[in-house]
Amino acid sequence: MMALSLRTVFYCVGIPLLSACVTATVDEMVYNKPTAGLGGDSVVILGRRHASDYETEPDFVRCVGDYIASGDNSITVIDELEFLNAVYPWFEPRTAPLHPVDIERLLRQEPVAEKMAALKVEYMIWLDGSTERTGGSGSMACSLGGCFGFGTWSHDANYEATIWDFTDKTAVGHVNTSATGQSYMPAVIVPIPIIAPVQGTACDGIGQQLLEFLSSEQ
Amino acid sequence: MISVSRVTRLLLAVMLTGLLPGCGPAHVVVEGKFPAPLIEPLPMTLGVWYGDDFAGHEFFDESKSRQESSWIVSTGVAQVQMWNTLLDGMFTKVVQLTRPPSAGQPVANVDAILVPHVEELQYAIPRHTKVKVYEIWMRYRFELLSAGGTPVAEWNMTSYGKTPTGFLQSDQEAVNLAAVMALRDAGANFATNFTRVPAVRNWLQEQGVQTESVSP
Repeated sequence: MMALSLRTVFYCVGIPLLSACVTATVDEMVYNKPTAGLGGDSVVILGRRHASDYETEPDFVRCVGDYIASGDNSITVIDELEFLNAVYPWFEPRTAPLHPVDIERLLRQEPVAEKMAALKVEYMIWLDGSTERTGGSGSMACSLGGCFGFGTWSHDANYEATIWDFTDKTAVGHVNTSATGQSYMPAVIVPIPIIAPVQGTACDGIGQQLLEFLSSEQ
Repeated sequence: MISVSRVTRLLLAVMLTGLLPGCGPAHVVVEGKFPAPLIEPLPMTLGVWYGDDFAGHEFFDESKSRQESSWIVSTGVAQVQMWNTLLDGMFTKVVQLTRPPSAGQPVANVDAILVPHVEELQYAIPRHTKVKVYEIWMRYRFELLSAGGTPVAEWNMTSYGKTPTGFLQSDQEAVNLAAVMALRDAGANFATNFTRVPAVRNWLQEQGVQTESVSP
């Protein structure tokens, strides 16, 4: 069964007169949602690290994992580094499977198949993307008397999650999220940074969709 | 009693001493933890020799302008740590040699001897490339010798590691992390391609060693 949804979230943080705002859009496409949760199985969330000019941040991967684990205590999320070390060298940027069918070839190796069975991996979620600073303006001068001026900058976050069913060796869902936010730093003697939580919003957006996919409670 | 001029000179000396580390090269002694490989070990005893150039490997890059600092990246200790862990998992037995192998002096109780070399190391930080990743690139040369010291195979291998910029992360911390990633990549490259090196594959077949395909 296939489901498609699109959500746009807009919210602001900061002081009432001057606030930092984030706009986030989440796209979701799901083919085969589990009907009874994960049971005793586990899910591993991994960052894609093939591109030469960016890296999916380990902090973002951890944030999404924490969001899912805190949203449903019955879901076991394996820590990314713990998993990468347990199956080294098969999920390094050079060797990681790019397509679900590659799993079959990987599992032909007995030690890998045994380790995967021990870890009870049911779903493997690949996160690909990054948060980039896209522009800035303003100026600030600091002296012994303090700082004066105003600065502003923006961040763009774009991430895609691809869900692989480890048993069926197929992709069963995609979630895209993009978030944009403007941060400000006015300074009258003391600079006051008002930071837009762009990456955090993207994490919440993608985390909520994945939680709805994986959890039997949602 | 200390005179005022002496106090001034002392204060000046202390201030200059404090400034000196800022003028020196950025030094990174690479430190990390390396996992054992999840691989079926090859049924052979491997001797391994780490030469002084390898075990004490250090990369020095002199600054090209007054705005940049020079860099020293010491990878030797981490290299030995990573390769010991990797080789221990790849072969049924590994023996670390205490003297360099030579053609006239056979080594007892080993099937082959591996001699790794780091031929080249390059690094890039965001200030150089304007891209928000720190990068380390290494080129290795390997010699595989018979127990009698005669050459069996010689090949080159590259490895690459990068890490994104992080909040409150120093250049040194990021270069260390990129180097650890490059070492992990070297291990992954070696583990998955060792039996595919044509001269190595032929030699293993001659020795009757079964090699399973370990394609990534």
